[in-house]
Amino acid sequence: MLEKIKNNFNTQTWVLIPIAIAINIAVGQIVLLLKLPVFLDSIGTVLVAVLCGPWAGALTGALSNVIWGIAIDPGALPWWPVAAMIGYMAGRMAQWGFFKSWWKVVVTGFVVALTAAIVSTPIAVYLFGGITASGSSFITAYLLQTGTGIWQAVVSTSFLTEPVDKITTAMLAFAIIQGLPKRTIGGYPKAEQATVEGGASKNQLYIAVGVVVVLVLFAAFMLRNILGG
Amino acid sequence: MHERLSFYVKRNSVIHDLNPLTKVILTLALILIAFTSPWYWTPHLLVLVAIIPLSFIGKVAPEFFRTAIRIILPAAGFLFLMQAFFQPVGDTVIFKFYFLDVTQESLMFAFRNATRVIVMVSAFTFMLLTTHPSELMSDLTRRGLPGQFAYVIISTLQILPQMQAKAQTIISAQRSRGLDTESSFLKRMGSLSPLIGPLVFGSLAEVEERAIAIEARGFTSKKVKTSLHEIPDHSSDKIIRWGLVILVILSIALNLWPS
Repeated sequence: MLEKIKNNFNTQTWVLIPIAIAINIAVGQIVLLLKLPVFLDSIGTVLVAVLCGPWAGALTGALSNVIWGIAIDPGALPWWPVAAMIGYMAGRMAQWGFFKSWWKVVVTGFVVALTAAIVSTPIAVYLFGGITASGSSFITAYLLQTGTGIWQAVVSTSFLTEPVDKITTAMLAFAIIQGLPKRTIGGYPKAEQATVEGGASKNQLYIAVGVVVVLVLFAAFMLRNILGG
Repeated sequence: MHERLSFYVKRNSVIHDLNPLTKVILTLALILIAFTSPWYWTPHLLVLVAIIPLSFIGKVAPEFFRTAIRIILPAAGFLFLMQAFFQPVGDTVIFKFYFLDVTQESLMFAFRNATRVIVMVSAFTFMLLTTHPSELMSDLTRRGLPGQFAYVIISTLQILPQMQAKAQTIISAQRSRGLDTESSFLKRMGSLSPLIGPLVFGSLAEVEERAIAIEARGFTSKKVKTSLHEIPDHSSDKIIRWGLVILVILSIALNLWPS
């Protein structure tokens, strides 16, 4: 176990982590400036998770929320377990080979989103009574007013908002890794996880879009079950 | 060049002379008590009788209140409004707003939660104002925190302002060549990659160089490193720390006690 954690960390990992945290925050702020309806504040975390492994990803996520909380928006502080879980899950998916082509990356994004939704729910419920300071709480509030239970309301809000954000994050991280020269990637502990497989990228993109559609349908189906149950 | 991101204000005060770890434990204790104490008015009282007086004792009151007004109060105020309107608890309706009821209970609930957040953030702010980050890290390293963690925290604080400045430069540069950052949704979505790309690739290119540089300075060496600065740890520090730990345990115990 300890060996597995340790092999995530070489000198390059330790150098990458601060840069990844800064990427998280800087990109998050660019997205705010563009007024896009996503956060994209975990691209750096996913990069570390894929290149160095799940434990390094988890550490990056947790620390970037702590530093974001201390330096910019204190509201980010209590969410560090979510960010850590995002990093861990992205790393695991990469380990299982799900970071090698566009459609697999979409699946990774979706799984990461589900994990984030599940981890963030208890924090939102216990710490904030379901209503947080984020804009998506309008949905939660609406569901609560229509008589939905608090757990279901919070979970379904996350299910509605997380996948778009996390799939975009994973795809951007994938594009970045593809754009990096092989020599730069080589020094990281899990460099082989980032090798790209599969045919022409155009066909791959079509498959990826198809996977997105299937996942959206799947999410809608699950949502109906949660709200109906 | 850009300053390191740090709130630290250099003053001569009792608080500045405390050991960094004592201040960390003080911060954590304040937060834990605010969140676990079963008594409704605890967080409010903590702000009034602990955090504000401490900021005067530490001679950082002007900076503390400036941060409070600029960052803490807006965040807490927004949370208060969201919760007061949207929390569907209680029956004593004070007024209605479309489909939303503001009840006495939801107001009380929101007030306590907002104050808890204020305690959390202002305790952190207080610690950051009176503790130098490198001093904190070298003290924690001396106590057994792996040096790599200290490196990550300190260098993030250094890199972050540089990265933000770089992002600002890239935004201005791309705008001046006519990149659209303000019109339709699709256009804004499209301008994401010309902004993120240069930023990310530029910073990732530095990684290898930095790794070689710190490797050459014995980064992964297992030998115990000596420090130039001696950080004082008085016996009064130890007493304060244990006192705080006991208070936290008491608060958690009272919370778990079946009443």
